[in-house]
Amino acid sequence: MKLKKETASDEIPTSSMADIAFLLIIYFMVTTTFAATRGLDFALPKDDDSPPQVEKEESVLIEIQPGGVLVVDTKQMPLEEILEYLKPKLERNPMKPVIIRPLETSEYGHMVDVFDELRQAEDKIGIEVRNISIPTQREIDAFWY
Amino acid sequence: MKLAARSTQNPIIPTASMADIAFLLIIFFMVTISFEVDKTQVMLPKTAIRLEVPKKAAYISITENGQIRVSSGEEISVPVPGPEDVLSFAATVVAQDPSKEFVLKADRNVPYRYVDRVVDALKQAKAQVIYLLSQQETVDEGA
Repeated sequence: MKLKKETASDEIPTSSMADIAFLLIIYFMVTTTFAATRGLDFALPKDDDSPPQVEKEESVLIEIQPGGVLVVDTKQMPLEEILEYLKPKLERNPMKPVIIRPLETSEYGHMVDVFDELRQAEDKIGIEVRNISIPTQREIDAFWY
Repeated sequence: MKLAARSTQNPIIPTASMADIAFLLIIFFMVTISFEVDKTQVMLPKTAIRLEVPKKAAYISITENGQIRVSSGEEISVPVPGPEDVLSFAATVVAQDPSKEFVLKADRNVPYRYVDRVVDALKQAKAQVIYLLSQQETVDEGA
């Protein structure tokens, strides 16, 4: 009787390797979320307990009302005109304090709009607003008169 | 005349390198994946100036209805009952690393009083820098 010996293939089966790998790729693609990792930096006062030395009369006060209505030194003003209004003041005094004061019920987004606008001052009017402060309600209660 | 037998080629697509390509892609995705510590969905405000937030910064998120979640940057964010609890959280984080940056991820429509209390807590905890997380403002919107 003639026996036929079966010879096993000496190759590693790699045809399914790509399938496994592509499944893994799909997993990573689906689970990857594009995280927002950029924003405006906002330096807080350094660690000293002295109250902010800002005279109310000398500073520019930007009040933000609900709906994004801006009142700059008691005058209502659109966002685009703020920098033009500040320019002569900053030319006289580059350290002119600018206070952003959003009302409790106004939206956070409008505060960020104003802050962003002031930060762009160097590009738009050629002079930097160096002294921006956003006092919190507790500070206003404690230090303002 | 005897012609040599015609050599026939097997109709096979070479797939041996396919796995290599796929694994390279996997490595790319594994390297670029960044684990978000805070997965809260918020409508971020739009700004023209956007700076890169340092990795491992502590996150504080505020949703439109004022719900606050905090994360020290290492683990997934946890909800806190109110702004008062942000102070104890921030104080703990600052005690461990005084130069730790904080990222404020707040919804653009959230009433400012929520943000005010959180910023106040961070000021009291002697935090040094806060990043206000934002989306890119396009030129058309800014004009």
